[in-house]
Amino acid sequence: MVLLDNANFILRLEKIANEAKKNASFTMTFKRYDGHDRPVPREGKKPLAKPETYMCLMRAQFKSKKISTVVRQEDVPTMMAMYSQFMKSKMDGLKRVKKVKSKAKATKG
Amino acid sequence: MVFVKNWEDFEIAAENMYMANPQNCRYTMKYVHNKGHLLLKMTDNVKCVQYKAENMPDLKKIEKITSNLVGHMASKE
Repeated sequence: MVLLDNANFILRLEKIANEAKKNASFTMTFKRYDGHDRPVPREGKKPLAKPETYMCLMRAQFKSKKISTVVRQEDVPTMMAMYSQFMKSKMDGLKRVKKVKSKAKATKG
Repeated sequence: MVFVKNWEDFEIAAENMYMANPQNCRYTMKYVHNKGHLLLKMTDNVKCVQYKAENMPDLKKIEKITSNLVGHMASKE
């Protein structure tokens, strides 16, 4: 698992998406991250400090390659803008639905 | 492990599941280019809702729900 910063994560993700185009798939996972990198202590021991603010952990997996990044609250708008751009450019294998408008025009003309 | 047919139902179910238990929820998407579909899944390790997107217009809605969820995940509460 490679932890990257947000911009590098998107760059690597684009490479992964290109590789996965031919006969493969990739998976993205989003979950809440509280900043702790250790397990929850057993009963009777001091519990972990409650985090002031939560972050979002984004992971991507392609075959055995795994990358991840942590998105802070202040970075959410920029990261989501980059991610939407990525989705638009790389997830382009979905079926296009013809707009009703163009059909109406065609019948008129 | 059943796919939800209707997008609105999935959106509501996924958001409610996340809100009920934010610490244990994960949201995943799997993109298969040569089959032309994108699978969405929200699970809290007990229940699971899934949606299969095959049409282009779904992508816009998925972008919206993803941004919403990430916004909720990276917040103070």
